[in-house]
Amino acid sequence: MGIITVLWEKWVEFRRDFYKITVAAMISPLMYLIIFGLGIRTTSHGEPYIHFLVPGLVAMVTMTGSFGAIAQSMSVQRLYEKALDQVMVSPTPLWQFILGQVIGGSLRGLYAACVILILTIPVRHGLIFNSLSFFIMLLNGMVFATLALVLSFLAKTYSDAPRFNTYIIMPMSFLCNTFFSTEEMPDGFRQIIEILPLSQTSGMIRCIANGEAPGAYGFIVLLAYLVILGSISVYFIYKKKNL
Amino acid sequence: MIELKELTKKFGNFTAVDGLSFEIGTGEFFGLLGPNGAGKTTTISMLSTVLLPTSGEIYIDGMKLTRAASEQKRKLAVITQEYSMRQDMTMDEVMEYQGRLYFMPKKEIKKRSDELLEFAGLGDYHRRVVRHLSGGMKRKLMICRALLIEPEILLLDEPTAGMDALSRRQMWNLLRQVSGQNMTILLTTHYIEEAEALCDRVAMINRGRLQKLDSPRALIQELGEFTVDETGDGDLKSTHFTTREEAIRYLETAPADSSLRQTTLEDVFVDVAGRKLI
Repeated sequence: MGIITVLWEKWVEFRRDFYKITVAAMISPLMYLIIFGLGIRTTSHGEPYIHFLVPGLVAMVTMTGSFGAIAQSMSVQRLYEKALDQVMVSPTPLWQFILGQVIGGSLRGLYAACVILILTIPVRHGLIFNSLSFFIMLLNGMVFATLALVLSFLAKTYSDAPRFNTYIIMPMSFLCNTFFSTEEMPDGFRQIIEILPLSQTSGMIRCIANGEAPGAYGFIVLLAYLVILGSISVYFIYKKKNL
Repeated sequence: MIELKELTKKFGNFTAVDGLSFEIGTGEFFGLLGPNGAGKTTTISMLSTVLLPTSGEIYIDGMKLTRAASEQKRKLAVITQEYSMRQDMTMDEVMEYQGRLYFMPKKEIKKRSDELLEFAGLGDYHRRVVRHLSGGMKRKLMICRALLIEPEILLLDEPTAGMDALSRRQMWNLLRQVSGQNMTILLTTHYIEEAEALCDRVAMINRGRLQKLDSPRALIQELGEFTVDETGDGDLKSTHFTTREEAIRYLETAPADSSLRQTTLEDVFVDVAGRKLI
């Protein structure tokens, strides 16, 4: 019940800012597609580079869409509007509030991915996106929505939200299997990057897009992040002394 | 009934609330008075579970209040000092969100929301986004939002802060009406006359500590119902007396510009806190 309330709140937000959200989801992936996919035409493993790029971009926008939807909104609600107080004092179980935020954030990431999939229809001939791809996108969105929750509970000022984006999301966008394979990275650094959730998501979506089956390892990594970050966010909302 | 037992809140080395203990009876209109920084808002924030106490406990009808205590929280509504609501929602959406958070059926939310917004004179603006409302309208909306869920306990943190005299009187009337419905009300304020006009009992706190607790009448009687004010060297000195006769006798020997008046709750607080309230 509390989950539905949060999803309703997210729907109100989405309905009101539909155009802003849609345009924001399109801009940066579209730029990457134009510059790397169409401008600097090249190949990767004998295939057009755009076939490598599209699955990576889809994974990336599920991350940025989900993270952005929660980090921004929760930081504003907690630190500026104080609207979180309304939730804290209500009888809605707080774990349901967390779960609602995670699902809502993930759906926003999925929406951003769908926008990119529609935009890339003319250039992604032969790439496969099936129900498993969408499940992976949803899972990735949940991981980053939960990360956004944890960080927004840690934020001390409203301006911390964009900082988290600069320190965490932007480096992942460039390094985690989006624009080039992690295999090309030096040892040590490669292992660190490969354990990050976006690297796994990009890898799995790319596998499916090329007609291959993704291994279980990627799912285990994503689920592990989800459980750890989810536990931290539930701990914060129940036990953090000063919310 | 609300019980605070040795409630303490520290922020680093600073103790905002220091071992606060008192009880508020069911249906009682209770005032928590203190100057700015006395610990009133921190106490309300612990009652609304936004802050967790460093030590001590809060009980609602005998059950410990925690963030997981949905049954106790169902009885509570809070009107905070700040406009704590989504600024990008319309009034209708703010009300619906509140109703949903308290598991109210959608039809009931709509019915009560329309009634309350109409009652508060906000009926014509129900589709207006909160960000575009005046301060007074936002304050009224917060009251409507709190009353929507028909709470048993209403926590009011400086509800008239920044209001003009007329709006404050309207708010007082509204609170008197609500109080008549057997609702327990905890009001924090630094407007002493507000507490004197509304509250059955008041607790005076300063630097997080409880200084006095009784009815406004009893506190005034304890200090002395009559006060002589003397202005000497620009400083105001007030002396309190139990009877009018004593006060008049003192006045006869006092400087020419001295005056006799009834003691107010503010005098009690000044006596307790040792400084004038804002």
